[in-house]
Amino acid sequence: MSRNDYRTISRRGLLKAMSAGAGMAALAACAPAPTTTSGNESVAGPASEPVTLLLWSSYTGRNGEAEQALVDKFNEEMGDRDLQVDYQVQGNYEETAQKVTAALQAQDAPDVALLSDVWWFKFYLNQTLAPLNDLLESQNVDVTDYHDPLIEEGLRQGVYWWIPFARSTPLFYYNKELFDAAGLPDRGPETWDEFNQWAPDLVSADGDEPEVAAFVHPDSASYIAWLFQGVAWQFGGAYSNPDFTMRMTEDNTVDAGRFYHDTVHAYGWARPSKSIGEDFLNGFSASMMASTGSMGGLRQNAEFEFGTAFLPEQDYFGCCTGGAGLSILNTTDAEKLPLAMDYIAYVSNPENTVFWSKSTGYMPVRKSAATSAEMTSYYEEFPQFKTAVDQLELTRPQDSARVWVPNGDQIIGKGLERVTVLGEDAATVFADVNDTLIAEAAPVLETLAIVEG
Amino acid sequence: MVGTTTRRANTRVSSAERKEWLLFALLVGPNLFLFSVFTYWPLLYNGYLSMVRWDFLGPKVWVGLDNFTHLFTQGDFSFVLWNTFVFTVSAVGLICGLGLAVALLLNRSLLWRDGVRAVVFSPVMLSGAAMGIVWLFILDPRYGLLDILLNYVGLESPNWFLDTRWAMAGVIVVHVWKNLGYAVVIILAGLQAIPRELYEAALVDGAGAWGRFRAVTLPGLSPIFFFLFITTMLASFQSFDIIHVMTEGGPVNATTTLIYNLYDEAFKATRAGRAAVSAVVLFLGMFAITLVQMRFSERRVHYA
Repeated sequence: MSRNDYRTISRRGLLKAMSAGAGMAALAACAPAPTTTSGNESVAGPASEPVTLLLWSSYTGRNGEAEQALVDKFNEEMGDRDLQVDYQVQGNYEETAQKVTAALQAQDAPDVALLSDVWWFKFYLNQTLAPLNDLLESQNVDVTDYHDPLIEEGLRQGVYWWIPFARSTPLFYYNKELFDAAGLPDRGPETWDEFNQWAPDLVSADGDEPEVAAFVHPDSASYIAWLFQGVAWQFGGAYSNPDFTMRMTEDNTVDAGRFYHDTVHAYGWARPSKSIGEDFLNGFSASMMASTGSMGGLRQNAEFEFGTAFLPEQDYFGCCTGGAGLSILNTTDAEKLPLAMDYIAYVSNPENTVFWSKSTGYMPVRKSAATSAEMTSYYEEFPQFKTAVDQLELTRPQDSARVWVPNGDQIIGKGLERVTVLGEDAATVFADVNDTLIAEAAPVLETLAIVEG
Repeated sequence: MVGTTTRRANTRVSSAERKEWLLFALLVGPNLFLFSVFTYWPLLYNGYLSMVRWDFLGPKVWVGLDNFTHLFTQGDFSFVLWNTFVFTVSAVGLICGLGLAVALLLNRSLLWRDGVRAVVFSPVMLSGAAMGIVWLFILDPRYGLLDILLNYVGLESPNWFLDTRWAMAGVIVVHVWKNLGYAVVIILAGLQAIPRELYEAALVDGAGAWGRFRAVTLPGLSPIFFFLFITTMLASFQSFDIIHVMTEGGPVNATTTLIYNLYDEAFKATRAGRAAVSAVVLFLGMFAITLVQMRFSERRVHYA
């Protein structure tokens, strides 16, 4: 074998190895791109040049149109100040949070981001949010006018980090026509026991398959863990305590899980659904628990009259808050911070809160908005929304296991899918979920100790 | 004198070699640079990430093999591996098997043959996400097209995406439908490359249709099938869009494959380390399959 032979093999080998490795690696090496190290470029120019605030948000459809209208109105009014908001929709809550994470890595983050109830804490924990107390004060924002349970959720150790904007609660929706046809009263059930008596009358069967279910359970991706949280409370249970003590295996929590199981697998009046909203709108379900934020779309699209009611009680009343708020990323230039707060204050001021709530069904986050003349007249025109606002006073913040444990919502949600879809026993499933939550909470507790002392 | 001549010759060889190597480096260099930056470096970095705990924002914490231990001893990772196996084997088998059947059909003289070929190939060009949404409507158990058709023959549609027994079948059907045209086109090209004379000779030897298929068509298609096995397997390993749109890996984890688990861990749970473990397993699995296939091809594939 000559040297040339070796050389030929060497080149071919190299090329072969490159192409084989490239094919494999391109598929498998899905690591995030290496962090860039370039500095944070100042977007803000000299005082005379227009300043652009970058806003990342999540809404599409009717809600997106309403948010776009708010941005347009802000830009029009701020034209004199040469301040413009660049509004960019990044996908749903999860996708927006993912993109904010990537943008922070690339040091190219937005100035203001809409972060959901389960995501803002991660950014807080990693110290990527700007503290808002001084900005709230300097921009004369009346913090006391925000509903207490809502504003206090974004408060850590006396500092505000997350301002309520598109806040919601679960609400009981029912199809009035189907309720009437079943001879039921025009109201939601007061208790789950009462609904258990009503529900068989709401089910209409077509062959072996029920054509209309009395109630539908969403999947984990559609936040079953958010909706079930109130049910756990109604049974006297909970996911966890604020100090991250997990409570999934408590009898009351398991009882709530078994109730969910039985609605599908014993009573047969509920079924899992990939889209509870579509099922409800198409008359395949006589009722559902869903976000108040769905109300705008339902009102626009429902071809039947629907009613709203407080969530049913069991041993207690239980209803959590949810939805999303606005935060300022701490990568924002110092001179833009007050302007970013101006935007947040503007879209959550009483007047715009009324517009936003009427357009979408999200809660009026300001007390003065909820009691304003315009909103009062809206309650008369659309009493279903009044129910949601009345219920707001009875809500309480969510359990740490869902909102502060990374992926807690999906860990619990996947467990609930095992109960509703696979029919597994809640005690077994919740024991697994409890163990997972404890393990996943450990790093959070470590970081929290560092951040908050 | 002899020594001087040899030295000059060596110098010439060496100079020629140098030029050749320089040309080689010039040709390969840009690609090597790009592969290094965009492929090999991420591969190595991924290996490093598989040994840290990191949420993409905070500091990386070295945990050694904990991520591997966790995935292989807890949770549903074995189920994810099984799903990946089922999805890949079913998809590759169906795409190649149905592809061969359709290609044989379209290789005959048929009315509107070119139009039918175009129709069969068209799903390849469509977006997987858009296709997933359309198929969600088709497979809807209450108002889907398939349910209507099944009702005509007295059957009920399964609840494709809320029944763990059917969900995987649902995404495989759509994946196969999307990729079938690709296999058909490749196999058709292979069929047309088989010399007519071989069929004529087989006919003269008294071979029937099955005999001709077994003795001429299949051996003639072996390099094509080797190529198809590799490409469709890689495509199946990477299939993400259809699963994401149609099931998001559910119900429970019934359609969570390795690539979807990677996405779940990385972008929903923000656990870079465990996502990297999925990537490592995916890489090793595909590498092993490629090695086996390359060895197989050296022995068993016949190039005409």
